[in-house]
Amino acid sequence: MSKTLEKLKSSRSYGLILLLVMLLFFYGVFKILTPGNFGSLSNLYSYLQSSIIYSVGGCGLYFIVVMGLFDFAVGANIVLSSIVGVILSKHFGYLGFVLGCLGCGTLIGFVIGMLYNNLNVPSMIVTVGLMLIFESLAVFVAGGVKQTLDPELRFFSGAPGNIILAGLAFLLMYFILNYTKIGTYCNAIGSNEFTAKNMGINVRKYKLIGFMLLHFFVGIMAILTVSYGTTMTALTGMSTMSRNFQPLMGTFFGVAFRKYKMPITAIIVGEFIISIIFNGFVALGAPTTIQNVVTGGALLVIVSLTARGAKGSVVK
Amino acid sequence: MQKSTDKNHEPSKLGSFFASDTFKGLLPFIGLVVIVVAMNILTQGKILTPKRLRLLLSQVYYPMIVATGVFFVMTLGSIDFTEGSTLGLASIVISKLSFYSIPLAILGGILTGAAIGAINGFFHVKFKLQSFIITICTMYLFRGVCAYLTTETAVPASAAIKALDMNWLKITITVAVLLVAWFLFRFTRIGNDVKAVGSGETAARFSGVKTDRVKFLAFVAAGALTGVAAFVNVIKVGSITATAGNQLETQILIALVLGGLPITGGAKVRFSNIIVGTLMYTVLNNGLVMLGYESQTQQLIKGVIFLIFVALTIDRKALKVIK
Amino acid sequence: MEKRTLLVADSIDKRFGITHAVDNVSLTIDAGEIRGLIGENGSGKSTFSQMLCGIYSIGGGTFRLDGKELHVRNQVEANNEGIAIIVQEMGTLSGLTVAENIFLGHEEPFMHFGVKDARAMNKEGQRLLDEYGFGHIKAADMIDHYNFEDRKLVEIVKATYMKPKILVIDETTTALSQNGRLELYKIMDAIRADGRTVIFISHDLGEVLSHTDTVTVLRDGEYIDTVRSADMTEDDLKRLMVGREIGSAYYRTDYGEPISDEVVLTVENVSVPHEISNVSFQLHRGEILGFGGLSECGMHEVGKAIFAASWDRTGTVKLADGTEIDSITTAIRHSIAYASKDRDNESVILNESIRNNIVLPSIDDLASHGLLSGRKLTAFADKHATDMQTKMQSVNQFVSDLSGGNKQKVVLARWIGKGSNILVLDSPTRGIDVRVKQAIYALMADLRKQGKSIIMISEEIPELLGMADRILIMKDGVINGEFRRDPALSEEDLIAKMV
Repeated sequence: MSKTLEKLKSSRSYGLILLLVMLLFFYGVFKILTPGNFGSLSNLYSYLQSSIIYSVGGCGLYFIVVMGLFDFAVGANIVLSSIVGVILSKHFGYLGFVLGCLGCGTLIGFVIGMLYNNLNVPSMIVTVGLMLIFESLAVFVAGGVKQTLDPELRFFSGAPGNIILAGLAFLLMYFILNYTKIGTYCNAIGSNEFTAKNMGINVRKYKLIGFMLLHFFVGIMAILTVSYGTTMTALTGMSTMSRNFQPLMGTFFGVAFRKYKMPITAIIVGEFIISIIFNGFVALGAPTTIQNVVTGGALLVIVSLTARGAKGSVVK
Repeated sequence: MQKSTDKNHEPSKLGSFFASDTFKGLLPFIGLVVIVVAMNILTQGKILTPKRLRLLLSQVYYPMIVATGVFFVMTLGSIDFTEGSTLGLASIVISKLSFYSIPLAILGGILTGAAIGAINGFFHVKFKLQSFIITICTMYLFRGVCAYLTTETAVPASAAIKALDMNWLKITITVAVLLVAWFLFRFTRIGNDVKAVGSGETAARFSGVKTDRVKFLAFVAAGALTGVAAFVNVIKVGSITATAGNQLETQILIALVLGGLPITGGAKVRFSNIIVGTLMYTVLNNGLVMLGYESQTQQLIKGVIFLIFVALTIDRKALKVIK
Repeated sequence: MEKRTLLVADSIDKRFGITHAVDNVSLTIDAGEIRGLIGENGSGKSTFSQMLCGIYSIGGGTFRLDGKELHVRNQVEANNEGIAIIVQEMGTLSGLTVAENIFLGHEEPFMHFGVKDARAMNKEGQRLLDEYGFGHIKAADMIDHYNFEDRKLVEIVKATYMKPKILVIDETTTALSQNGRLELYKIMDAIRADGRTVIFISHDLGEVLSHTDTVTVLRDGEYIDTVRSADMTEDDLKRLMVGREIGSAYYRTDYGEPISDEVVLTVENVSVPHEISNVSFQLHRGEILGFGGLSECGMHEVGKAIFAASWDRTGTVKLADGTEIDSITTAIRHSIAYASKDRDNESVILNESIRNNIVLPSIDDLASHGLLSGRKLTAFADKHATDMQTKMQSVNQFVSDLSGGNKQKVVLARWIGKGSNILVLDSPTRGIDVRVKQAIYALMADLRKQGKSIIMISEEIPELLGMADRILIMKDGVINGEFRRDPALSEEDLIAKMV
């Protein structure tokens, strides 16, 4: 009996049920509190459209976070890549826009990976330094002015464009995790880097690939972000720091549900849940400034439930 | 105390000297001197005028107080990202209370900081969650609270507290904080305990260090000192907006790393890291402003210098696997 | 079958800092034999075999397999040359499925133009698991859902499915139940029957003698001898391992001294979930109480439990004056010392000076009105480190620079400086060379004469027989036998209670 229960607890459907219960719980709470201005089908659809942007970044961060690394330059790269994309779109249309965002994104990932590998400094520290640099680069590239996406080029600003692009990103993630070695190797490096090295895994190479993949997804996120908001302004002063954390929340969901073999679903649903909570508060009349409180509080609860260290383990 | 490990190196080998701990320990001082001299030359001596120095000094106080608290957390090998939000929230509390009583306001500010530190410490110790994740969460949370409290207008402070904006008072507070912290770090078991936890937590626990308590208290201290810094901030600015203390945590991290504080914490931290680091960061900031660079150029230069410094000073031996 | 030389090791050498782990070892191994590789802890047997398998780089000398020189940089390259290893610690990786673990680094057969066929991988993994008789393990499951023994079985499949010419089994049997062991022996025999070779590393000499053809003995990193298993007894092997007659000046020589009636520590019904249950015993003044058993029997946890370092401990640990030991600080304050088996993580702070390691528990005693004097701390550390004859440049040297033996001296200096009367020493001579070992044994005998009590937890039976006044043997988390010090007491007597 307990054996079958154990079996069930480790199965994919159990993970799915867990996610659905959380989703329904938060939906239910806010629906009961403010039935009028929360949670209609069209409302939900708009929550989803904003949350999938973060889910895309969450998928990218998953590669880095499972390896035990971290990246604070995600936000800076969203800004930089979207500005590069918008500028190129003025000359080459959609082609310039998409390739600009993706190309710049991936290139930045390559730079981060190379510097991390060669400086031998923790990723958290390298990316703080690079965040400063990329932010100022973005200002230089933008020439200090607000960059607006041409109205002709806003296919990705709403449904179905954004859904299609995000869907493609999720499919790509699914393919990489299940049909290439990269997912396996990233997990192996995260589990025990020394053993992984002994199994012939080129750890440096896969860390570089991890950063490049992350920032390829950041490139996609840049397309979606600037399309959704239609403009992008580059600012210095570490203002992009806050953009790092919304995708990170999805990633934490993904890592927590890795044991049910459904990280991508967890990333998407997790971001959707956060979006529901935030919009629920807004529907209750809270000012939008409450967003950070919700983000921080939700993240705190998630990690408290999922990322706890074992007894006696050393946690820094 | 001399470093015995240097006996291994032959004095003639310049290369091994540059890789030695002595050199790494000296590097922040060298860096500070180089930056001061370079800025002095580049600004044609303007940075060392009394007026400039006063301005520079006025920007040192509160980062240095905050850095002192964070120093203890980083000696543990942990990280605290909440200083900015804590400073903002504590400043709001101080401003609001300043209309009733100034001692009460100061106490309120320190308690607010200590409470946030206690929350961080509690989650970190009880749930065994990585400090940087916890403090990112609480940074967000309290940044949101600040934003909420300042949604309509900025929070003004009383005229009485603004009247305290005197240099000697700020200097006294800063020096007092540094002296007390230095005394605790150097002459009581607190210093030994935090360094031991940073170098080897399990072995420290097995040698009788109350590791959980040490860690918790370090976070409380970081919060409380940020509360003290908030007081200095309030008397200087007089009215608190949503962006008060924005990104302070990253500035402090950069300053301490520039000061030579190893990111792994532990035995190789030096109290001088706080002073050298904060001074270097402030001189760099000021010099770049004086040179008339645009903010993006300033930030680019800061980023590059930061990376070079970390690469030169980091203690790779203490990191088994670099994550 | 005609003998054919399979592996030649020529002057293999390896240093870790100042430790000469493997010292110019040369040997040959034939195809179709099971070769035992034995030696005390720190004799270099694991380092030697891990160099062969590409886990450590080769410090000096060459390995030749079938006449061809080996240049492997990691386990996968070793696998491709026909060498596989099952390691002592956990060799499987969490976060991966069973099949991904089995084929890690060898995904090529399942890749088509860069696309992985996970279904085929799972199917092949399951086929292998079924073939080995481990059908209860499912290839598509996450490895995290399986316990240590099942994960070891997965490792066995991983190491052997590609039919290596040489399989190294490094201390694997301790992790296996009787059934698992039988499976492993069967696999070993099958490899031999196939004309391939096994290198079998084990502490269990009985097991070594009954399952190998020949045995190579290493001591302090040096090659000692290779003998035919059929000609040897366990005592013969032991003599080769230790390098002298057992019972010589190495250990205590006294017998028949009475144990004091004075009880200094009473342990009552102490349990730790999944580790030990209802352990009760008394420790007397001036007694060396030995704890023995297989490495997973729970004895190491007993040491932690006495020191109140266990999680979720129940039961009581009481001193003669009735003080209950319920936290590490209480334990230290009341004169209990603990030296862990995991020296580098739990005993010494590696990245810290010798001085600060030694003063740590005594710091409150050295402070006056809560204030510390740097000079006083240094003098204190210097005195105790020098008394222990620690090999160092100064007390400011970092512990990470010291050899295993000197690290242990720092640990002992710490507790002797604290003036502890009850010393819990877990594996005190693990990974330590013979000379320092001898010094530690002499110190223990000396402390005992001073009336201090010692609990010595050890995986090495000769050490227990040689040093302890009384020996408690543990099995599956409970005390399974008690022996008094006696020259007639034999290893077999103890082993009988262990397995």
